[in-house]
Amino acid sequence: MQTNFSAELLKDPAMQASEEILRTCVHCGFCTATCPTYVLLGDELDSPRGRIYQIKDMFENEKPASADVVKHVDRCLSCLSCMTTCPSGVHYMHLVDHARAYIEETHDRGVLDKMMRSVLAFVLPYPSRFRWSLYGAMIGKPFAPLLRLIPGIGPRLAAMLALAPSTVAPRSALEGPRTIAAKGERTARVAILSGCAQRVLQPGTNDATIELLTRMGVEIVLPEGEGCCGALVHHMGNETASHAQAAQNVDAWTREIEGEGLDAIIITASGCGTTVKDYGFMFRDDPAYAEKAAKVSDLTKDITEFLEGMDLPEAVVETDAVLAYHSACSMQHGQQIKTAPQKLLKRSGFKVKDVPEGHLCCGSAGVYNIMQPEIASELKVRKVKNIESVEPDVIATGNIGCITQIGSGTDTPILHTVELINWVTGGVRPGALEDVILPGERKAGENPFLAAAE
Amino acid sequence: MSDTVRPETEDALAAFVAEADSKALPLDIRGGGTKRALGRPTQTGATIDLSGLTGITLYEPSELVIAARAGTPVADVEAALAENGQHLAFEPMDYRHLYGMNGGSSTIGAVAACNISGPRRIMTGAARDSLIGVRLVNGKGEAVKSGGRVMKNVTGYDLVKLMAGAHGTLGILTEVTFKVLPKPEAALTLVYAGLADEKAREAMSEALGSPFEITGAAHLPGDPARTLLRIEGFPQSLDYRAGELTRDLKRFGTPERLETEASETEWQAIRDVVPLAAPTERAVWRISTAPTRGPAVAAAISNRIDAAYYFDWGGGLIWLACAAEGDAGAAIIREALGGKGHATLVRAPDDIRAAVDVFEPQPDALMALTKGVKTTFDPGGILNPGRMYAGV
Amino acid sequence: MTLIAMPEADPTVLARRADIVKELKRFLPETSIIVSEDERRAYDTDALTAYRQLPMVVVLPETTEQVSEILGFCNAEGIKVVARGAGTSLAGGALPAEDAIVIGVSKMNQVLDVDFDNRTARVQAGITNIGISNAVAHAGFFYAPDPSSQLACTIAGNVAMNSGGAHCLKYGVTTNNVLGVKAVLIDGTVVEVGGDWLDAAGYDWLGLLIGSEGQLAIVTEVTVRLLRTAEGARPILLGFDRVETAGACVSDIIASGIIPVAIEYMDKPAIKVCESFAHAGYPLDVEALLIVEVEGSDDEIEFYLDKITAIAEKHAPQSLKVSQSEAESAAIWKGRKAAFGAIGRVSDYMCMDGTIPTGQLPHVLKRISEICESYDLGVANIFHAGDGNLHPLVLYNMNDPAEMVKVEECGAEILKLCVEVGGCLTGEHGVGIEKRELMTHQFDQVDLDQQMALKGVFDPQWLLNPAKVFPLANRPKPAQTGQRVAA
Repeated sequence: MQTNFSAELLKDPAMQASEEILRTCVHCGFCTATCPTYVLLGDELDSPRGRIYQIKDMFENEKPASADVVKHVDRCLSCLSCMTTCPSGVHYMHLVDHARAYIEETHDRGVLDKMMRSVLAFVLPYPSRFRWSLYGAMIGKPFAPLLRLIPGIGPRLAAMLALAPSTVAPRSALEGPRTIAAKGERTARVAILSGCAQRVLQPGTNDATIELLTRMGVEIVLPEGEGCCGALVHHMGNETASHAQAAQNVDAWTREIEGEGLDAIIITASGCGTTVKDYGFMFRDDPAYAEKAAKVSDLTKDITEFLEGMDLPEAVVETDAVLAYHSACSMQHGQQIKTAPQKLLKRSGFKVKDVPEGHLCCGSAGVYNIMQPEIASELKVRKVKNIESVEPDVIATGNIGCITQIGSGTDTPILHTVELINWVTGGVRPGALEDVILPGERKAGENPFLAAAE
Repeated sequence: MSDTVRPETEDALAAFVAEADSKALPLDIRGGGTKRALGRPTQTGATIDLSGLTGITLYEPSELVIAARAGTPVADVEAALAENGQHLAFEPMDYRHLYGMNGGSSTIGAVAACNISGPRRIMTGAARDSLIGVRLVNGKGEAVKSGGRVMKNVTGYDLVKLMAGAHGTLGILTEVTFKVLPKPEAALTLVYAGLADEKAREAMSEALGSPFEITGAAHLPGDPARTLLRIEGFPQSLDYRAGELTRDLKRFGTPERLETEASETEWQAIRDVVPLAAPTERAVWRISTAPTRGPAVAAAISNRIDAAYYFDWGGGLIWLACAAEGDAGAAIIREALGGKGHATLVRAPDDIRAAVDVFEPQPDALMALTKGVKTTFDPGGILNPGRMYAGV
Repeated sequence: MTLIAMPEADPTVLARRADIVKELKRFLPETSIIVSEDERRAYDTDALTAYRQLPMVVVLPETTEQVSEILGFCNAEGIKVVARGAGTSLAGGALPAEDAIVIGVSKMNQVLDVDFDNRTARVQAGITNIGISNAVAHAGFFYAPDPSSQLACTIAGNVAMNSGGAHCLKYGVTTNNVLGVKAVLIDGTVVEVGGDWLDAAGYDWLGLLIGSEGQLAIVTEVTVRLLRTAEGARPILLGFDRVETAGACVSDIIASGIIPVAIEYMDKPAIKVCESFAHAGYPLDVEALLIVEVEGSDDEIEFYLDKITAIAEKHAPQSLKVSQSEAESAAIWKGRKAAFGAIGRVSDYMCMDGTIPTGQLPHVLKRISEICESYDLGVANIFHAGDGNLHPLVLYNMNDPAEMVKVEECGAEILKLCVEVGGCLTGEHGVGIEKRELMTHQFDQVDLDQQMALKGVFDPQWLLNPAKVFPLANRPKPAQTGQRVAA
């Protein structure tokens, strides 16, 4: 596509990067078709091609972000479905990240919106603050209908309360910095990102990862000083905060890399994985961090990516359960991991079914379901309907956001892939299946008909 | 009727039409003369005989394309194609049986002008789908072209389609170009006996919804009723597809098999409306609707008037014969269709065809467009005036 | 700048812009009207971005009734209208005009009715082409025309441009696969043409509307033919060291009596780029690649592939490979269908769309490379070889105004060549804005006058997509506001 950036403007490395991205776009429009907001709203302004064009216009003319442009960029889920579709290799993620930072610099969002964003940025990345706020939310839940009536941010507050669980999970016994030794001979040493929200909402995911990996001979380190990956604030355009959080993680992992060494940095929430894998790009112009960050990104693997090439422990539980695999956007589009989780689940004995319209986002998208409750809820309904069309007994996915979002719309248990794999290979039964018996569930090798008769 | 003019070039034709236009002389356009009785009777001052404009002008077998001057007999075109193992895939119907004619030959221009297709339309499209280029002389005596000799062409409006089925009311075709296809090596027809109309329609829908490429699906009620399904291709493939079809359609009985030649005879008769050709004094209708409505439409008509009929196109094309009295059943037939389809009175005495809407009456907006379009081609209204609609 | 002029905007209309927006609000919801400049900007072009024009206002109606109200209003007020589907036209078919309202049908994207017994589907015009096939795939059916942009392009746009695709060698193009439309005329009248039966009554309105580039009416509903998916399909890749040999092979395949469902051609530059996107296993060391696909049962596929292989071997192919799995076939097609976009990774391009008699392939391909060379521009060739529909992508730098002029001249020369050898300017993309001024090379004025007279019947004031298709010179004088359609 033709661009029209002044030479002066192109001196800014961020602008230069964006100009290069814009030049690869041929405006073919393929991306519109797989964009969730375009599919729902039918307006090109709410499609990748439309947003790219609005961003281009804003950048080229050095215009402060207008309320209109902000509206359409805010509606972007950053699901990156467009990047999977794009034949020209347009790096939409970097472009929209740049636009978000530009919006924060040039646009005044008004008091209420700003407050809402500050609160989220203050709470979500910090597990203890988040945990306390969940207790608060439990008390607040009954007031959600009233809150909805507050002009401006009411619907968002109500959405936030609706997403909060009705009970708060107990803290994991394995929380906090430590090293957990491999069982038997040590074959690898990895760090696991403890993360922020997931640690509070679903501590079972990382517990299961630790249990599974240590049984497979992997030593695990939960390094000192590591925290939120920075994605939450990054997607709100707050570059200063996101870079600070990212730098903290790069430091923590670099200490381990340079110390006892790391074979991989394992991420169990694909949303975080997409961001950590992008650290190299985020710090590309920072001499102090560029190299370290690139190294970190290089070592980063989704848990399923890490497990794919390994022999899993033998299954001790078998079932006839039909499993719907929901591929998180950050998994299939952000990280382009398209088959590893399904293959692992098949190896673990599940009847895995892909979901129709699997490329469309469930509406979670970080804090999107709080900031854009209407679109998020329409996407959730659509996603649940698609999932339920394959009549699953259980749903697996690889991202905490999707688990919370989809879980609030269906009675079918939904849990992280690794929890299922850990369980059937001899680990602890996942919390989500505590009160559920899957069809044909039995000890490995047992006759399913006898098991059913018992 | 009066003078007949037989131009031998497009220029001569154009000059004559321009003169006729200036004199407001209405013209009757005649190819092989086999479809004089199709359409409304016209009042004209002179006849244009196109038998002087003949000859294949282009034939490239490896490009699947043939062009011929409009007056070329269809038989000549088909013979040239047959030499190269090719054919006009849309299988144009021959009207001579219906009109009780022995001699004469339909022309390729008339096939285009009247959009005449046969049973294979369900698979390979109608004449208008194979027609890719035309030259014509409009009512002002101007030579106009549209389309060309390549099968993918969206340059400008598709006047080619507009000419197909306009029955010479918009222009006199002088040259037509058709896309052609290889003639299948062999054909096989499965014949199911004794199915009621609706049951037969179900069988045909199921067969047409199968991947086995049915190129003919007709149902002839009677004693016994016969339902015919045709497949074509290379012999090994036919056996396979016939086997699969027979299995899928088991609940409709065990079919008799007609091999290539017997199959061809059967489909030619269906194509040319031979089953309803006699008695010759009866009126014949061609009714087009959705296949699933075909049996009900036929039943609604035959409950009220004495009618004989059969189905082609999987049930969607009804050929129906009834007494040529009064409106020849027009009101009842069109009521049975309820606007969901259309009926054409293809055979009836002149007085009935003059009094009854031969072609389905159109909604006002479309009729206004019809008149408007006619005016752009033929402002003087001299080309086959009234052949399709009064005043057009 | 560019060789293509836009007609001057009507200042009296522009002056009434605020009132026009106010009027539109009477029959459209807020979310269906786009007014601000920032927002209109995203609608200033389609997939031919060399030409851009900010429209006066954009509306996204949700119903046929709304379309009818908008058109009735525009007709009464003499306001121009440009219809838009998904904006994927490569010919500038959806390029706005400064004094025009863009009517986008993208909000009307539902399947209304599927009838497997009659093998038809009735859909709203804004549904994507592939959306139709997706809606019926579970029952083993599909909608046949498959333009490369089928993922995104709408059936509305397909109808306007009479779109084709890779598989139309066997299945035909849009006009062969549409049975009925609901269309709104410029005065707001809603007409229904055809339906769920095979031949429509009267003049062939469908044939005329399909391919009329949004200049005669706006289509809001379409009834399409559904076809049953073949039992199987398999492509074979044939690589040749010479362009001429590939061309001769295509002719021989067709002359042999086999009609493959598709014969696609790519040259070396295109192969390289597409392979890097799709990882389809295209041979990288050949000059010309044919993708030939056949359909049927396993035995039928074997039979056809054996015949094609035998023909190809007479031309000593450099590589010959049959797809071994569904995944491989999917990748082969993914690479082909994404080809234009993928070329965008390496360069800007102008995509040509002429059709030629297939016998002329070697000659024309040679001439194309000579023409491009004479302009010092690169070219990648990707096209439908079976039907002679060429897509030379002339590579250039869009940020360089001098190259912009060069590429237009070069493209025009290529298209004139197509006409000279017996072909046409456009096989499936449409005339749009891009080829408007070239129409006189294919048609005499009398041919164009006849077409323009038809336009005048449907749209006496020339309000619908007015700057397209016909050269600006020698147009008839439009009727004045107030005159009605086809009086």
